[in-house]
Amino acid sequence: MSKEKLTSDREQFVVDVKGVSKAFTARRVLDRIDIEVGRGECVFICGINGAGKSTLLYTIAGLLGADSGSVKLCGYSVAHDPEKAKAHLGVISHKSMVYPDLTVIENLSFFTTLYGVKNAKARIDELLSDVKLTRYKYDKAGILSRGLLQRLAIARALVHKPSVLLADEPFTGLDKKSCDDLRNTLSDFVEQGGTVMMTTHDTRMGLACASRVIILDGSKLILDRPTEEIDADSFDADYISYGRGVV
Amino acid sequence: MRTILFFLAIGLVVASMCIGLTAGSVQGPKAHPDSPVRNIVYAHVPSSICALLCFCVLLVAAIGYLKTSKESWDRLAIAAAEVGTVFAIVMNATGCIFSHAEWNTWWTPSPRLISAAMLLFLYIVYLILRSSLSGAKQRIARNSSVFAIIAFLNVPMVIISARFMPDIHKASFEFGSNWQRVAFFLGMISTCFLAGLLMWFRTDILSTRARLEREFVN
Amino acid sequence: MRYFLLSFKAIFMKDIVTEFRSRQVLPTMIVLGMLIIWVFRIASEVASAEVSAIGPIALWVAFLFAGLLAQERSFATEEHQDCIHGLMLAPIDEGTIYLAKLLVNIIMLSIFEMIIVPAAIVAFELTLSRSILTLVGVLMLGNVGLSSVGTLFSAIVQLTRTKGSLLSVMVLAILMPMMIPATFALLAVFGDIPAELIGTGALSVVGSFKSAIMFMVVFDAVFVVACWLLFGFAIKE
Repeated sequence: MSKEKLTSDREQFVVDVKGVSKAFTARRVLDRIDIEVGRGECVFICGINGAGKSTLLYTIAGLLGADSGSVKLCGYSVAHDPEKAKAHLGVISHKSMVYPDLTVIENLSFFTTLYGVKNAKARIDELLSDVKLTRYKYDKAGILSRGLLQRLAIARALVHKPSVLLADEPFTGLDKKSCDDLRNTLSDFVEQGGTVMMTTHDTRMGLACASRVIILDGSKLILDRPTEEIDADSFDADYISYGRGVV
Repeated sequence: MRTILFFLAIGLVVASMCIGLTAGSVQGPKAHPDSPVRNIVYAHVPSSICALLCFCVLLVAAIGYLKTSKESWDRLAIAAAEVGTVFAIVMNATGCIFSHAEWNTWWTPSPRLISAAMLLFLYIVYLILRSSLSGAKQRIARNSSVFAIIAFLNVPMVIISARFMPDIHKASFEFGSNWQRVAFFLGMISTCFLAGLLMWFRTDILSTRARLEREFVN
Repeated sequence: MRYFLLSFKAIFMKDIVTEFRSRQVLPTMIVLGMLIIWVFRIASEVASAEVSAIGPIALWVAFLFAGLLAQERSFATEEHQDCIHGLMLAPIDEGTIYLAKLLVNIIMLSIFEMIIVPAAIVAFELTLSRSILTLVGVLMLGNVGLSSVGTLFSAIVQLTRTKGSLLSVMVLAILMPMMIPATFALLAVFGDIPAELIGTGALSVVGSFKSAIMFMVVFDAVFVVACWLLFGFAIKE
């Protein structure tokens, strides 16, 4: 592949999932999924439990290997060029991925070193004020409340200014206020040209954040529409039959 | 065709075992009138060799799995480990009986006896690990392959100690007659066949089960 | 390379700081080690063998079991908040994680030995027949070997229900051969090997002090390299 082609691909699609299948033992969880996501999009992935949402995100993140098909992040293959692909990727899940025995600032500086962030001190200060954690700088992560911990998790994921943010159930266990804060952080991230792919069971919240909706059902992708074309009320009532009805 | 091959293989194993053991037991007591228990070599030596060979198969299967992530390699690994465990048990049990009769002790810490026991332990720990790992099948297979490879690194040590170290355990066995030689090699061949046959059955059962699972789930 | 060193140091420091802050394992290790030494000391009164010959054996048993505590913690702390995913998502080589964790475990064992070895020397009335540097060298070779497989298997057993107990079985089964030259070397450091032990017994495998050291070096090198290479397979989802 020529160099120009590579750069043009990179500009076109930040996340490029082609024909990805994944099976656990005999059960097929993902069946030839194709998704292309451009810069500045926020994708809401929904589906019932066991539809393969988390598996899809894990496969994109490279934590799970796909049985067939390919995943590219910013033009780098997750399977063959993992270190470059990972440098463009941030992940939040309902678990915080931070160390409870380290303070907030130590956690962040640990990850800045792992990601090789230049000017780490300034970056950490900036992040802390973004997620409003400056006050808790020297507190151990273990004593933070659920909402504060989730903010720290976001700061952790954004430490290297990734182009893609994958969020697996980021709203779990957060109260209304924290949910809104998280939503604002995500929309700020998207406005700055970031790409978000997230799953959540809170369909209203998902629709409010997202610019595009994807429904997974029975290991297949059954719907892929911009949010404007979605009828929020009937979608909220039963999105599976809604998805089937539209298709 | 499969069925014919199947019965042919069983027949071969049974026949060669019968001939071998008869030859051994007819000639054995005459060759060693003082200690008939020495006839145990016809079972002991072949099973030790098969236990080692099964470990080699396990290693190949483990490396094969890590390279290709094909489930068939993992099935071979399971079969090799299970069959190997059986032969390792036979090896240690016959060894103990012989040791008791000849040296008047059930077990003594000589290099060869230690390495034989170690082989059995490694097999058993491998099987325990397999059964207690939970999660996706690929991950179980990957982790147990890792253990199998690390465990195999101990095997060269087993062989070195069995060959070169001063030991109460003899490295070679003097044959009293040609009959004994025939019996010994027939025993060797038939035991190896038996090991191969058992492994074949086991992989067959496992792959049938995997196919059924696949059909049942989808 | 510079990047490797930076991330290596970050993971290493993170683990050391976590351990010293939470003080989860080191105190337990030391108490366990003391208890093992104590039990062996009492048993050695009953046994007909020389007390000084039991000492080194008690030490290896203490190192093995205390080491297992340290090794099990290695990845148990990572599992807690899915931190292991955090590490795997970072653009670093998996081998770096293994090497950093290995060094942490070696250091934990070394700190533990600084307390336990003098205790054993007092309890068993041991006298050094070789220089103190030789003792340190033998102990370090032992530490590398003990920690190498344990660190790898710690990542594997996090997926099982039995965790620690399974880890101990796995590590002991693999380290059995290595314990023979290790015991031999430590016996030689604390006095000469009794003549009746050399001959046809287990220790005859080793032969001399020099070959015992050689055996340990080979074991260490083989296990560390193999574990380092295989580590990526063990933590992948």
